[in-house]
Amino acid sequence: MTNEIWITVFGLGLISFLIRISGFILASHLPKHGAWARGLEALPGCLIASLVTLMMIYGSTLEWITGIIVLVISALTHKPNLAMFCGIALIAALRQLGL
Amino acid sequence: MKFLFFTRRAIYLSRTNNEYLFTKFINMRAASTVRIEILYGIRDMLPMSLAAATYGLAFGLLASQSGFNNFQAISMSALVFGGSSQLVAMDQLVLGVGPAAAIIAGAALNMRILLITASMESIMRDRSWWHIGLGTFLATDASVALMQTAKSRLMTDSYWYFFGGGASLYFVWIVVTTIGAFLSSGIPDPELVGLDFAIIAIFVAILPGMWRGYVDIFPWFIAAGTVIFFGVWLPEYASWGLISGAIFGAMAAGLKND
Repeated sequence: MTNEIWITVFGLGLISFLIRISGFILASHLPKHGAWARGLEALPGCLIASLVTLMMIYGSTLEWITGIIVLVISALTHKPNLAMFCGIALIAALRQLGL
Repeated sequence: MKFLFFTRRAIYLSRTNNEYLFTKFINMRAASTVRIEILYGIRDMLPMSLAAATYGLAFGLLASQSGFNNFQAISMSALVFGGSSQLVAMDQLVLGVGPAAAIIAGAALNMRILLITASMESIMRDRSWWHIGLGTFLATDASVALMQTAKSRLMTDSYWYFFGGGASLYFVWIVVTTIGAFLSSGIPDPELVGLDFAIIAIFVAILPGMWRGYVDIFPWFIAAGTVIFFGVWLPEYASWGLISGAIFGAMAAGLKND
C-alpha cells in the first residue's frame, strides 16, 4: 500500500501541474478578439455557476434556503464575505434548533 | 498624499538627472507596490481560506484513517493542492483499484483547473516561465473568487495580488492537513458549527459579483442546465458535468452575435 500511495501522490501531483500549465498555454494561443475572447471572458462566471449548481442539486432543503439568503445578502450588500459568514451562522443556528 | 509625494519625488529625481537615485527610487516604489498587492491578495483570500481549512482538516483526518502516514498526507496536499481530487484519489486507493485508476479519477476532478488557468492567462502573460509555473500551480477554484474581489481593488491584472492569495491559501492548506493528520481524532464536528457549509456559501456569495448583466443569462442557463443534466441522468459523471457546463456556457457566450 505504501508504494501505491507514493505513486499516486507523485503521479497526481505531476498530472495536476500539467493540467494547470496546459490551461495557460492553451489560452495564450487563442485569439484575443472575437468569439474565443468572448468565451474566455464568460468562462469564470460559467464555471462558478456550474460549481454552485453542482453543489446545490445535492443540497438539503436547509442548504437551499440558506443558499438563497446568502445570494440575496451578497447581491444587496456587495459584500460576499459578510454573506458567507451570515450563511454559516444561520445554518448552524437552524441546525441547533433541530431543523 | 503618499502617491503625490512619490510622484513629486520621482519628477524631482528625473529632472536632476541623477540616474542612480532615480532608478533606486523607482525600484523601491515597485517593491512597495508588490508588497501591497500581495497583502491585499492575502486579505481577500481569508474567507476562502476559512472554507478550505475545513476541507483540508477533513482530508488530513481521513488520510490518517485510510492508511496514509502523516508525511504522505502532507505530501499529497503539497503536490496536488486540490481538495476534491485528493479525496477522490484517496478513496479509490482505499477501494483497492490501484494507483493508475486513482490518478485518473483525481485528474478528472482537477480538469476544471485547466479552465481556471486559461481564464487567468492575461494575469501571467509576458511573465517569466518560473512566474507562470508558480502562478498556475497556485491556481484553484478560489482564484476565480479572487477575480471578483480584484475588480473592486482595480487589480484584475495584478500577478502579485493573485500570488499573495494563492500562496496564503496554499500555506493554510498544508497547515490544516498537518493538523488533521496529526490529531486524527478529537476534532469537533464541522457540521455543528456550520463550517461544512462555508465552501458552498462562499461560491454562492461570489455569484452576484460575477454577473455581467443580461449577456450572462443564456451562458449561465446553458452551464447550469448541463450540470443538472449530468447530475440527474449521469450522476457518476457529475464532475464531467461541471467541466462540460463551464465549457458549453462559455461556448454559448462566444458564439452569440456571430
